Amino acid sequence: MCGPSPVEPVEASDDRPFDVGLAEVRTGRRTLLAAGGAGLLFSSALGAPARAAGRPTRKRAYVIVVDGCRPDEIDGGLTPRLQALRNGGLRFPRASSMPVMETIPNHVMMMTGVRPDRSGVPANSIYDRKLGDVRTLGRAGDLRADTVIERLNRRGLTTGTVLSKEYLYGVFGPRATHRWEPAPVIPVSGHAPDVFTMNAALAMLDEFDPHLMFVNLGDIDRFGHVDLTGTTLRVARRLALADTDNLVGRFIDRLRSTGRWKHSMVIVLADHSMDWSTPDQIVSLQPVLDADPLLAGKVRIACNGGADLLYWTGSPGQRAAAISRMRALAAGVPGVLATHERTQDWLRLGPEAGDVVAFCQAGWRFSDPDRLLSNPIPGNHGHPATRQIPFFIAGGHPRVPHRKASPAHATTVDVAPTVASFFGLGAPRGGWDGHARL
Amino acid sequence: MTGGAPRRLRGVTSPRPEPKAPLGRRTVLATGIAGAGAATLVGSSPAEAAQRAGTPVFRHGVASGDPLPHGVLIWTRVTPTPASTPGSGHGPPVRVRWEVATDERFRNVVRRGVFATGPSRDHTVKADVTGLEPATWYHYRFRLDGVTSRVGRTRTAPAHDATPDHLRFGVVSCANWQAGYFTAYRGLARRDDLHAVVHLGDYLYEYCPGEYGYGTSDTNIRRHQPRHEMVSLADYRERHAQYKSDPDLQDLHAKYPWIVTWDDHEVANDAFRNGAENHDSGEGPYRPRRARAHRAYDEWMPARLDGTAALGDGDRLYRRLRFGKLAELSMLDLRSHRDKQVSTQLPAPAPQPVPEVSDPDRTITGRRQLQWLKDSLGRDRPQWKIVGNPVMIAPLALQGLPDDLVAPVNAVLEVLPDDGFPINVDQWDGYTDDRREVFAHIRNHQITDALFLTGDIHSAWASELPYDASTYPVGDSAGVEFVCTSVTSNNLKDQLGTPAHSAPNLLVEQVLLANNRHIKYLNFDDHGFSVLDITAKRAQMDWFVIGDRADRHTPITWTASYATRAGTGRVVKADGPVGR
Repeated sequence: MCGPSPVEPVEASDDRPFDVGLAEVRTGRRTLLAAGGAGLLFSSALGAPARAAGRPTRKRAYVIVVDGCRPDEIDGGLTPRLQALRNGGLRFPRASSMPVMETIPNHVMMMTGVRPDRSGVPANSIYDRKLGDVRTLGRAGDLRADTVIERLNRRGLTTGTVLSKEYLYGVFGPRATHRWEPAPVIPVSGHAPDVFTMNAALAMLDEFDPHLMFVNLGDIDRFGHVDLTGTTLRVARRLALADTDNLVGRFIDRLRSTGRWKHSMVIVLADHSMDWSTPDQIVSLQPVLDADPLLAGKVRIACNGGADLLYWTGSPGQRAAAISRMRALAAGVPGVLATHERTQDWLRLGPEAGDVVAFCQAGWRFSDPDRLLSNPIPGNHGHPATRQIPFFIAGGHPRVPHRKASPAHATTVDVAPTVASFFGLGAPRGGWDGHARL
Repeated sequence: MTGGAPRRLRGVTSPRPEPKAPLGRRTVLATGIAGAGAATLVGSSPAEAAQRAGTPVFRHGVASGDPLPHGVLIWTRVTPTPASTPGSGHGPPVRVRWEVATDERFRNVVRRGVFATGPSRDHTVKADVTGLEPATWYHYRFRLDGVTSRVGRTRTAPAHDATPDHLRFGVVSCANWQAGYFTAYRGLARRDDLHAVVHLGDYLYEYCPGEYGYGTSDTNIRRHQPRHEMVSLADYRERHAQYKSDPDLQDLHAKYPWIVTWDDHEVANDAFRNGAENHDSGEGPYRPRRARAHRAYDEWMPARLDGTAALGDGDRLYRRLRFGKLAELSMLDLRSHRDKQVSTQLPAPAPQPVPEVSDPDRTITGRRQLQWLKDSLGRDRPQWKIVGNPVMIAPLALQGLPDDLVAPVNAVLEVLPDDGFPINVDQWDGYTDDRREVFAHIRNHQITDALFLTGDIHSAWASELPYDASTYPVGDSAGVEFVCTSVTSNNLKDQLGTPAHSAPNLLVEQVLLANNRHIKYLNFDDHGFSVLDITAKRAQMDWFVIGDRADRHTPITWTASYATRAGTGRVVKADGPVGR
C-alpha cells in the first residue's frame, strides 16, 4: 500500500509532517501566506521573492505526478486531456518506476536524480533500527541527497511544492521556496483531494510563479487502493481518473491562457502503477519466519504492499545464515514472486532497506506482520507488476519535442536530470543516476 | 500444421555417399580488403563450361539473413558441374569468392572472402560477414571461377543503443509449392520500404505429388521434387533446391535479409520432440530423419543455428535479433522440444475436457527455451518484444458452429475434434501450462509491448491476449498477436470448396469472433503476406491478399490493417497500410 497502514505505529505527534511544518511557521523559519481566495495556505522561505517574474529566466518547469496511474489507463478513454498532452509531446512507452515501487522513494528519485542508496529513501516504510520500530520515511531529515529543488534555489531560481500527501510534504520539508500547506487532508488516506491540490497549484502559479513546480495528485492512487472492484471493474478508480484528467487539463489551460506555455516544460508521470488483490491472495511472511528456530523473534518486516523488507535483528555473526534462511522460507510461500538479498547491485536500496527484499506476484499483496490487519486494502504496489508508468514531456518551450515517442527506458530517476538540463544545471557531485530526457 | 494430406509410407532412404572433399568441413576466409587478391582463380573452368552449357552456376539465387549491427549472413548455392545437382553428392570441392559493397556496382567493396564448399554441404555457401556498419544497406555477390552471381541486397540491424524511427518487416509463412505460385513473395519483393523479411515457418512441405495440393482435390499446380515425400538428406536437399528455384522467392531473398524459423513441415507434419504425425516406423527412426532435415535446413537457409553459420555444431534455432532500443525479435522453435500433441479423438456426442492440455509436465517450448523466452520478455529488453511464434498463442474457444462446418474448420485450424470441443491442441492451446507461465511472467513483471508474430494457420488474425479469456474484455491483456496468412497453403475456402468470403465462411468467422472477444480480426479465406511496421508509438500489421494461387500473375491487394498502441496490449483498427 502507498500510505501508512491502519495499524502502523503512531509516531509522536511532534514528528508528524504537518506539525513539523506548523512549527517552522511558528518559529519564524518560514512565512505563511493565504492565497487563492479559498483558504489556501502557502509557506515561503524567509527572504524568498514574491514572484519569479523577471528573474534570471522565463523558463518554467512543471513536474506533475499522477500518483499510481497505469500507462494503459491513459488510453482507456477516461483521460482525454492527459492523452492529448502525451500525444502532443515526447513520450516514453517503456518508462518505469524504480524499486521499491512506492510513492516516497520514487518522488525522492524524481527530485534528486539518484537512487535510494544515495538518497537514504528506499521505501515508504522501513524498520528504523535506532527507533526499534517500523516507521514511514516522511521526515525531511530522511532525505540525505541534494535535490534539484535546492540546487535551483541556490542558482537564484524559485521553486514550489504542491504535494497532496502528508508524507511527501514531510520528506521534502521546507526545501522549496514556496510550499503549499495541504488542506483539507482526509484522515485515513493522509492526502488532500485533487481538487484542492489543483486549486493550490493554480494559486501558486498565480501568486508565486515559481521556475519549478512539483505537484503530486493523489486521488488516482488513493481511490485505487480502496477500490474493491479493482480486480475487474475498477469503478472508483475510473472516477478518479476522469476527475484528475480534468484537473490536469485546467492546469494546462492556465499555462496557455497566461502565456506561460511557450516557455514551459511539463513533465507528467506516475511514481508507480497499481495492482489489485483479493482477500485470498495475501502473503504474510512473519508467521513463517517466526516458526523457524533460527529466525524466530529476530526478523522485523517493513510491509510496503507489494514488497516486504526483511530486517535481521539477531547476532551479526548469524546474518549471512539468516539471510539465506529468510530467502529460502519466503520463496516457498505462495504468492511470493522473488526474494533478493538487499545488497544486490541492481537494487541499489541502501542499508535502510534491510537485508532481504521480497516481491509478491501480480494479484497478491503482503500483509505483515499481521495477516488480517496490517494491509487490508485491495490496491497495492511496490512489486514488479506495478513498475510500468506513464512518462511524457509536454510544453511549448522549443526544447520540448512535439508528437514524438522514444523507445528509451525512462525512469523516475530521470526527472531531476531533465529539469537540470532544461535550466542549464550540471550534474551533482557523484553524478546523476538517471538521464536527461530532452 | 497439418495439410490434411493422406499418409504415405516409405522406406528409409540413406544419404547418398559423398566424395571426400580435400577441404575442411567449413572454411570461411574473411580476408578483408587486404586479402582480396588471395583468391585469384584461373581461366576456363568447369563452372564456366557449365554456365555455357545452360547449367547456371548460381541457379538457386542468393540470400542473406540474421542481420546484426555489425554482421549478416550471406548465402548461395553453386552448381559447378552439370552433375552437381542438389542432393546428388556429386561435384568437386570449390572455393567461392564473395564480396560485400556499399554500392550496387561494387565500387566500394568493404569486405571480401573465400568460402570453401563441396558435396559434403551440397555445395551451399553460408558466410557470416562481420565488420559492417549498423543500419546500413549493403550489396553482395559471389563468384565461382569466371561466373558471377546476381547481386543481393541486405541491411544490417541498428546499433544496440540506437533509437530508429521505425522498423518494417515483411511477414510470411506456409508456402506450399504444390498449391500454387508464390505471388505473395513477389508482392514483398516489389516493395522498397522493408528492412527484413520474417518467415514464421513451413517454408517448404514434405509431401509427395498428389498429396496436399490446391483445394479440395489436392490438385498440384506445381509438382514437388523429388517425387516422393522427403525423408532422406538428399530428399530434403532436393526439395530445398526446388523451392529456391522459384523466381519470386529468389527475388525476395535477394532483396532483403530474412529472419526465419521452422514449423513442422520443414521436417514432417505435426512434428514433436520424438515424432511427427506424418512419420512412421517405416520411414526409420524419427530423430535421425529430423537431424537430416535440420542439416539440410542449415545448409540451405540463411540462419544461424546454434548461433553460428557453421554446420554440424548444433541445431538450436531459437535466437534473438535486436534492433536498437526499439525492438527485439525472439524467434521460437516450437517443434524440436515439445511433447506429443494430446489426442482429441473423444467419445461423441458429449464433448469431454482433455486435462492433458494443462498438464504442467507437458511443454511446447521445452524448459530451457521457456526460460529463454521469459528472459526475452524482460524489463531491460528493447521496447517491442516481438516473438516470432510459429503457432498461435491466443486462446481459441468455439461453440455454436454448425456441425457440417466443423470438419473444414478443423482441416485448417486443427481446432476441434469432431464433437466440436474447443481445443487447439497443436498450438499453445494444447500446452496451456507453458502459456500460463509466459503470461504470468508478463503480468508479474508488467512487461508491456509483447507482440507475438505468428504463422501456421493459413488465415489472418489480430488478437489480444487475455489473462482470463472467460471474462474478457474485463481484465487485462498480456499483449497482442498478429497472425499472417499463408503464401499458398489451403485455408477455409479451399477446404470448403466455396468462393472466398461466401456465407458459410463468413459464418465461421462471425462465430469465432463472437466466441472469442479478444479476437478483433479474422480472415479465413485469403492468401498473401503481411507487413509489420514498428514505431515507439505503435505496431501495425497490414494484410495483403492475392487472387487465385493458380495464376502466376494474380493481383495483390491490401485488405486490412490493425495496430496496437504502445503500452496498451489492445488491438485497434488502422486506417490504411503503411508506406503507400
